[in-house]
Amino acid sequence: MSSTSTASVPGSGPAAIRCRIGARGVSRSFGPVRANVDVTLSVRPGTVHAVVGENGAGKSTLMRILYGLDQPDSGHVVIDDEEIALTSPRAAIARRIGLVQQELAIIPELSLLENLVLGEEPVRFGRIDWATALRRAEELSASVGVDIDWKAGAALTSIAIQQQVEILRLVYRGADVLILDEPTAVLAPAQAEELLRLLSSLRDAGRTVIFISHKLDEVVGVADHITVLRSGRTITEIARGEIDREGLAALIVGDSEVAERSVSRGDPGETVLVVEGVSAKDDRAVLRLDDVSFEVRSGEILGVAAVAGNGQEELAEVLIGIRGAASGDIRLDGASIGRASIRKRRLAGLGYVSADRKHEGLALGLSLADNSIATPALHGLARGGWLGPRRVAERVKEVLDRAAVRYGSSSDPASSLSGGNQQRVVLGRETIGNPRVLVASQPTRGVDVRGIGYIHELLRRARDEGAAIVLFSEELDELRELSDRIVVLHRGQVAGMLPGEASRSEIGALMLGNHSPEDDNPDADVPDDPTPGHPRSPRGGETV
Amino acid sequence: MTSAPTQSAPVEPDPTPAGDPPLQRILIATGRVARHAGLPVVIALLVGAVVLLATGNDPIAVYGRLATEAFGTPSRINATLAATTPILFTAIAAAFAYRAGVFTVGVEGSFVLGGLTAAVIGANMGGFPPVVAVILPLLGATLAGGLVAAVPAVLRAVWSVDEVVTTLMFNFIVAGLAGWAVQSFFQERGQANSATAYVAENAELPALAPPGQTSWALIIGLLLLIGYAVWMRRSTLGFEFRAVGSAPRFSTAQGLRVRTVLLTALLGAGLIGGLGGGSHALGIVHRYSEGFSASFGFTGIAIALLARFNPIGILVGAILFGALNAAGATVQLFINLPVQLIDILEGTVMIFAVAVFAFPRLSKRWAARSERRRP
Repeated sequence: MSSTSTASVPGSGPAAIRCRIGARGVSRSFGPVRANVDVTLSVRPGTVHAVVGENGAGKSTLMRILYGLDQPDSGHVVIDDEEIALTSPRAAIARRIGLVQQELAIIPELSLLENLVLGEEPVRFGRIDWATALRRAEELSASVGVDIDWKAGAALTSIAIQQQVEILRLVYRGADVLILDEPTAVLAPAQAEELLRLLSSLRDAGRTVIFISHKLDEVVGVADHITVLRSGRTITEIARGEIDREGLAALIVGDSEVAERSVSRGDPGETVLVVEGVSAKDDRAVLRLDDVSFEVRSGEILGVAAVAGNGQEELAEVLIGIRGAASGDIRLDGASIGRASIRKRRLAGLGYVSADRKHEGLALGLSLADNSIATPALHGLARGGWLGPRRVAERVKEVLDRAAVRYGSSSDPASSLSGGNQQRVVLGRETIGNPRVLVASQPTRGVDVRGIGYIHELLRRARDEGAAIVLFSEELDELRELSDRIVVLHRGQVAGMLPGEASRSEIGALMLGNHSPEDDNPDADVPDDPTPGHPRSPRGGETV
Repeated sequence: MTSAPTQSAPVEPDPTPAGDPPLQRILIATGRVARHAGLPVVIALLVGAVVLLATGNDPIAVYGRLATEAFGTPSRINATLAATTPILFTAIAAAFAYRAGVFTVGVEGSFVLGGLTAAVIGANMGGFPPVVAVILPLLGATLAGGLVAAVPAVLRAVWSVDEVVTTLMFNFIVAGLAGWAVQSFFQERGQANSATAYVAENAELPALAPPGQTSWALIIGLLLLIGYAVWMRRSTLGFEFRAVGSAPRFSTAQGLRVRTVLLTALLGAGLIGGLGGGSHALGIVHRYSEGFSASFGFTGIAIALLARFNPIGILVGAILFGALNAAGATVQLFINLPVQLIDILEGTVMIFAVAVFAFPRLSKRWAARSERRRP
């Protein structure tokens, strides 16, 4: 494991392979967009290699090319020091390369074991030999130090476990190079740490790992080498220990425009949103929110921290009205909205930034103009049911300007924008009419370093304009940076309310249900193991 | 990679060019129609040519004769436009619902019941002033069409019952109901097949150029088409139609009127289909008889898909299918050509109209394959 800081020139060394997988002079354009320009990447065998860069820097395109899903316009994929044309994923699999995409390919109806062996089941006398399958699965998980209940139904396990199974499935099928596209994007901090440990064990077992991440702490902590892409070009390759988080952020952005982690608190006014004893069930009628109460004031950001699967998704959905509350009430400026339709809530001044930008936040096939005005407030632009083109055009410009969206024409489809720009459209639309309450769920998920700064700014501006903001985020630092107070959920209950300045460990302890020193709630003392009532309670959370 | 958002889902309309001036917009739309609809038509003609060759015909001669029979003389154009009229209505009806992502197949039933209603009311309009004598039957027809769609609309909007199944079933119900009603109550004496009496003369929609069959029904259809275009683009509910049709989960989360949209989409398609049936009864057939609709409701579906709900595309598609129908009826007078071949041509156009949605994906695969052959 050498740590040269230049791209390697294969063929100069002895017989040992220097580049297990990589790219040499790879360029790929999509119409006018140059996703990859003369990209060079060299991943040494038995290392963990991180690829970082802003949204649209060309990382995913490069990964797709390395897996044969896409072919370069020029340049070559390098495998085992040899330039080859990788024409399909099948060819990649034959070279023992595997890819884990962001959307997991786990079949929820099957058990984890069935998911693992699917397509390559051990067969004995013409029947699937489940005993052997289980033995192999357990050997596999033991060899990399993870604890998986293989017989559990996939649907009942956390996304972190499912992801581990998907990674192990590649190993099971003989993959030696594992490519992971933003594996930690959907994981809570503790789960992410466990995943990173898994990647390290895979490396120690001699496998090669490539992963994309926007979380620079984990990149600096885990990767043996880091390749930085910017605007589709390779900027540099850095070995472990040669750079810190700030230095890496500067390299990614490309100028000195790295925002200081500025912490500004709000100036809370009157109470706007009251949540009173709200309980809610998930789609399988399992209780996920249990008697949750809190208040949010005007000009205040209330952060919600929880390990994935502890009720925060349901809380966001209950607040906007996508999910009905089983009991309890929600009041906005004193008026009950707990049973009101989404439409009524929005007209009462509720804004919503969905965690699922592609399906709920935006209509990707519709134009930016359409996306900018698609709220019940639409009727303010109409007379007698007919839209005034001039009023619509003005509103569209207002929305897009407010969020400083970079766009060509407002008639372009929303899908033509990068992820960060798409999210700005959402925030512009949801904050334009001075909402009384803004429910923002994972507003910076999948957004690059620079884009995150803009989105934080938009949230702060809405707060300063008097909105009561409920912010859901899996990034503790983001919560600590923006929130005036942080409510921590554990197993659907309020585990504690902390000031925005609370330390990571304080928040983390409450997230895992541990007794916090200031907290005299006896319930928090319950030993922490998954109960049948909370099947998705992530096991990864217990190890921090 | 995001250059072709319209091809991601079959019922996704093209994004609206919002700010462009009208003329430019029409040109863009026409170009798009040519791109989307032209290819399936060309392929269908090629397939048809192969069939013609295989059956010992000269494709060029046959196609030439078809073109002459469709557009060769003013009277043939008149016949083409007469055949265009009913499917113009059904295509608008289908497109109206599909814009909202509602896949109704019930326009056929609305068309049939609308036709029967207009014929029955029209036959009793003897003493009425001309305008009233036309408007009353058309009103009745429209309401009857809406009635056919009412139950599926409520089932869909309130209980999310699949509209394809319910509207298809209602077609059967309506077909049976219409046949029974004619035989039991409205059967004209002295008619061998089940048919109602002819409508009163003042209830007829006058022909535009007698003796040609094209009537004022075409004008009603064209006005309806313009109304459809303007409404989809400019009304708030039209906006919500496009949003719900393109992104249902988004529309729900945004608090748009999803239920109203679903209800309106199904009811509206029924109302338009009923008006189409009424116009057909008053304008061309002048009564209701068995076989009143030559599957116009289903041809309308094909046209709406071929046009991707675009108004200009609907007009072009309706004329195309109208031409095939009109020419197919007379071409065998001149050429020894099985009339079924016209059906085959129509079917082929429909298949490729739907298949063309898959072309971008195919071409991507071809590109990847040619890449593979590269050294």
